[in-house]
Amino acid sequence: MVKKSGISIRYKILLLLTIIPLLTLSIYLFLAIQIFESDKVAYVFDSSSNVSGAMASQIKAQLNSLLNETKPIFQDFLTNNEFTAQTNLIFTNDFSLEAVVAFRFNLNAKKFEKAAFVEKTARSVDGILLGLEKTLPQYFAELEQTGRIVKSPYHDDRLFIFEKVKGEKEGQTTVFLLIARLSEVAEMFRAQSSQRLYLISQDGTILFGPEGTAGAQIQASFPLRFLERKDTKVAQGAETVRDSQSVDWLVSYSRAGFGDLMVVSTVEKKKALGAVEILIRKSLIFFGILLAVTAIISLLASSSLTGALTALFHATKKVSEGDFNIRVKVTSSDEVGALAENFNLMAEEVSRLLDETAQKARMESELQTAKTVQETLFPETEAKIGSLSIAGFYEPASECGGDWWHYCQVGRKIFLWIGDATGHGAPAALITSAAKSASTIIERLNITPAQALELLNRSIYDVSKGRIMMTFFLAAYDQDTAELTYANASHEAPFLIKKSSDPLKKKDLIPLNEVNNPRLGQGRETKYIQTTVHLAPEDMVFFYTDGIPDVQNIAKESWGEREFIKAIVAANKDYPTANVSVARLVQMMQDHRQGGALIDDITFFVVKNDLNV
Amino acid sequence: MAKFDVKMSKSGEKLNVVLAGSVDEDADFTQLSLAGAGQIELEMTGLKSINSCGIREWIKWMSTAPAASITFNKCPKVIVDQINMVDGFLPANAKVMSFYVPYYNEEAGSEKSVLFRLGTEFTENTVSPPQSVVDDSGNAMEMDVIESKYFKFIKK
Repeated sequence: MVKKSGISIRYKILLLLTIIPLLTLSIYLFLAIQIFESDKVAYVFDSSSNVSGAMASQIKAQLNSLLNETKPIFQDFLTNNEFTAQTNLIFTNDFSLEAVVAFRFNLNAKKFEKAAFVEKTARSVDGILLGLEKTLPQYFAELEQTGRIVKSPYHDDRLFIFEKVKGEKEGQTTVFLLIARLSEVAEMFRAQSSQRLYLISQDGTILFGPEGTAGAQIQASFPLRFLERKDTKVAQGAETVRDSQSVDWLVSYSRAGFGDLMVVSTVEKKKALGAVEILIRKSLIFFGILLAVTAIISLLASSSLTGALTALFHATKKVSEGDFNIRVKVTSSDEVGALAENFNLMAEEVSRLLDETAQKARMESELQTAKTVQETLFPETEAKIGSLSIAGFYEPASECGGDWWHYCQVGRKIFLWIGDATGHGAPAALITSAAKSASTIIERLNITPAQALELLNRSIYDVSKGRIMMTFFLAAYDQDTAELTYANASHEAPFLIKKSSDPLKKKDLIPLNEVNNPRLGQGRETKYIQTTVHLAPEDMVFFYTDGIPDVQNIAKESWGEREFIKAIVAANKDYPTANVSVARLVQMMQDHRQGGALIDDITFFVVKNDLNV
Repeated sequence: MAKFDVKMSKSGEKLNVVLAGSVDEDADFTQLSLAGAGQIELEMTGLKSINSCGIREWIKWMSTAPAASITFNKCPKVIVDQINMVDGFLPANAKVMSFYVPYYNEEAGSEKSVLFRLGTEFTENTVSPPQSVVDDSGNAMEMDVIESKYFKFIKK
């Protein structure tokens, strides 16, 4: 019996039923996250672009409005070379403006110099300009290129708008500096949220932004690629960048359309995709629950399956140990149930076959015993009684035969018996046994063959009740008279072979068929008649049963009566001794037979009167 | 082994029975009723063999029509052998009308069955075989039986 090794089917099923959904769901989750993340990034870009665009539009509108309001101030100065009362009126009513300064280019000094100014707070302009003493030339240089720049040099809520205005005369250029306090706008940029907003100039300088970022270079925090493309005309865009701490950011930008101002919106990608993490976390929880449920269902389902298989395993183990009475309970009508049912049938069949084999072995043993017993019913194959020499041959078709032959001496008479029961095998053998038993008694009686057959007939009839019959030929040789008296119960008539000087021929075979009566066992009161022939010296009598002509070779070809008669003639052509006659006939029969199985019992014997020998 | 086959046809009191095949322990005569028939003609050309169990059944079958006049026609050798050997195989109320006698030629290996008919080749107690029997090649054939045994039933 092979023992279990490796993983149990139960766990294989469990693994199969959990791995498949695990793999499927993992692939699904991976694809879903990819799609969801892409969609989310696109959404964030879209929304942050909207915010930056809106902020840019607002700043542009506010600054353009400021410029439009101060246009009369510019015109006032350009007309009067000073700020008049008209300027003061406008300036005073504009609360966002803190100061307006007009610079004129001094051809001699070749630099811009303050020409006029208005201010809300006294002496504020001087202080501011003093603070910008070093950077103003740089600002003016930039103005040459762009015509307008916006700065926030003090990193506060104020924007310094430099506007270059060319005069009517050659080389007469005026630069107006508007100092506007845009607290509300600055506050919007400082507002703390997941989305950070920056107002920057083209060089990346942060004008407005979250607390503490003003004046810094935005590139220091975010390596923005669009700032490197200074000639690009793209008004709005978005990109993903990674900062020095390896944090990914989703960045969108919009040009304000006022100077080189741009509004930049940044969102930390991790936070933007927070929903994805929630999705993953919830999905994992869902997966866990699903796998747990799958595992439980698998265990329950596999328990049913493996329970039946385990029962089968134990049953087959029992069978291997020789217990064929084991049966498996059939609990389902599926393949496993059919397997269990077939196992039960198989075990039942094996059990039955074993019983049959044991029974057959016992019967064979009994038949062998019967054969051994039956062999004791037959006489020695060669004998010499008085003047008669006797030789015979007997071979049953199976363990036990229905043929029987015998000889015995009763006084001066020698009785010669030969019979053939209906069929062959054990039933026929039992009849021969009855015949032998009866003959043993009959031998002790001084009776004729006909009387002996009558007694034998009653015995057979009483034993078989007419179901099994027996042909029989009984002869008694009187040694004093050399007469052979015989009676026949429908048996093959023996051949009398008279000694002659000529070789034996077929026509010389004399069948002893002068009398014939019904078979033994056919009727209880059957009467038998007998007759007598003279047996001269060296005369022979050939007794036989009808199985000899039916001897077949391995090709199932029967020997046939013609060949049988020819063999009798050939074997006795020179009137040999009885044993030589039998040996010759046996040899000729075996030559034909060539090992073929017998289909009927074979019995024959030869009696020769050796009176003169 | 050829299967036992029987065809019966009745015309008035006359019952014709055509037998063929092998008569053995499997031959079922119980369905073949001979009762009521005054005259029974058995035609036996097709019978191939008969064993001891078949003989027992045959005798029982024949005994079911004790009053009928039975004729055996065209008996093959296997039947003639049984008639000769088994007392009662040919019931007392039965008569052989014709039977086959095997002939052969040893040299040519030819065989032939010659039909002997009552009143022609044999009478109630005599046999008058044909003067000569030849095979298809004109070879003289001899009787393939021991006459004293084979014709015993005629000379009873």
